[in-house]
Amino acid sequence: MPTKNSLDYAYYPGCSLHASAGEYDLSTRKLFKALGIGLTEVPDWFCCGATPAHNVDELLSLSLCAKNLELAEQVEGDLAVACAACFSRLKFTQHTLEENSTKRKQVETAIDAPVKLDGKVKHLLEILARDLGLERLAASVKKPLSGLKVACYYGCLLTRPPDVPNLDCIEAPTIMEDVLGAVGAETVAWSHRMECCGANFTLSRPGVVIQLTNAILESAKAAGADCVMVGCPLCHGNLDIRQKEIEGVYKTTYNMPVFYLTQLVGLAAGLSADQLGLDALIVNPLPLLKEKHLL
Amino acid sequence: MKKKKMVISQETMDIDFVRKVEALSGTSVRRCFQCGKCSAGCPMATFMEHPPNRVVRLLQLGQWQRILAGRSIWYCASCETCSTRCPNKVHLASIMDALRKLSWDAEGPSKESYVQLANKLFLQNIRTYGRQYEMRLAAVFNVKSGQFLKDLMLGPKLITKGKLKMFHKKNRNMNEIEKIFARIEEMRKKGEAL
Ligand code: SF4
Ligand code: SF4
Repeated sequence: MPTKNSLDYAYYPGCSLHASAGEYDLSTRKLFKALGIGLTEVPDWFCCGATPAHNVDELLSLSLCAKNLELAEQVEGDLAVACAACFSRLKFTQHTLEENSTKRKQVETAIDAPVKLDGKVKHLLEILARDLGLERLAASVKKPLSGLKVACYYGCLLTRPPDVPNLDCIEAPTIMEDVLGAVGAETVAWSHRMECCGANFTLSRPGVVIQLTNAILESAKAAGADCVMVGCPLCHGNLDIRQKEIEGVYKTTYNMPVFYLTQLVGLAAGLSADQLGLDALIVNPLPLLKEKHLL
Repeated sequence: MKKKKMVISQETMDIDFVRKVEALSGTSVRRCFQCGKCSAGCPMATFMEHPPNRVVRLLQLGQWQRILAGRSIWYCASCETCSTRCPNKVHLASIMDALRKLSWDAEGPSKESYVQLANKLFLQNIRTYGRQYEMRLAAVFNVKSGQFLKDLMLGPKLITKGKLKMFHKKNRNMNEIEKIFARIEEMRKKGEAL
């Protein structure tokens, strides 16, 4: 696949990156700067509606996303999205409005403007693996992550639903493993890489979340992983912030650091713990990184 | 609850409702041949009284009241696994969306009010602030659901880690957002959208 030369993007961080996932935002900006990739935040972007909007009101969800896509047009370049949920909603909107003229007309009435669907929406992973390209990514490595065994967690929304995100193979994606391979880490094969963490129940049904996330952590541990890597702030919240609670309920210890993809790639690119916001992680990753001589 | 016997007749089959589900979801329930792959992969099936394949079967038979009377649709996590694995391209996750929408509109007899409350507060936040502020969302949820103690152990740690934002700046597109909500309400009033 040909890589791109001009690497400038409009950037849609999404709500979580401005709140509970500040370290994802920070590490994204620092890493992209170090790699020479330009990011310009879309001015006054607003919430994409995430799962709660399409859950009960698809037209609202499509309209919020369509308006955000219009706002993104103000900034030159493809749209870079960090959150898997925002990514999925924005892509779903483009796909649905392309295929369904009735819904398209309704959305155009709702936003009082013609919808624009030609802009490309890309998850950070795609930008690293395809636009920058694995070769250039490998060439940027200052400190290979050798010896670190990582369980790549895709969750639901990076690849699903069918025909929509087109990020990678829908049942057996490898894009995360490819990116980590390029920066020298080892990745493990494990069963729960695409199982749901129950993000939409974080508030309403924490018991459900704990059951689902326990199975994910258990599977990562059984596969011999030292840590988990994610590309979504919602997955991260459930696996990292709730880990102590999960350990309490299931009377077990995982002590499994959960990194954002930009933190691990950033580490390999030679960025410091501060630049990557590692201190914001709830499960302390420093002992593991020191043991592996990565800090 | 004792199981009520299902009677299939012209009187009990409400096909108009099913048509609405099909229009909203953009998928046809008639394509389903009950292979069960959707339910086999569904992470939430154990929490549902009607697993996904049965939800489709009940729709085929026009027995939607049985679905809305239960909690299955509110326990669907929107993970899209069912839609991914269906050999007949039944977009089951979209069917779940459509059913929740119709139940929501009817202020349906659902047994699952916490999920509905969380969704409602989330949407209110968008309309009022333009973005989500998890702290506010969690606080209001706890007050309204009466679950004051829940997640108390998470709070202070998150604040010291800078994860919960207390303050925020006003979004300059607030007017636009309000107009989107209002125009959709208007369209629905006029019958131009479901
Ligand atoms: S996977 Fe598709 S065809 Fe099979 S039971 Fe589910 S909806 Fe029906
Ligand atoms: S989208 Fe809902 S019904 Fe489908 S597999 Fe996921 S949780 Fe189950």
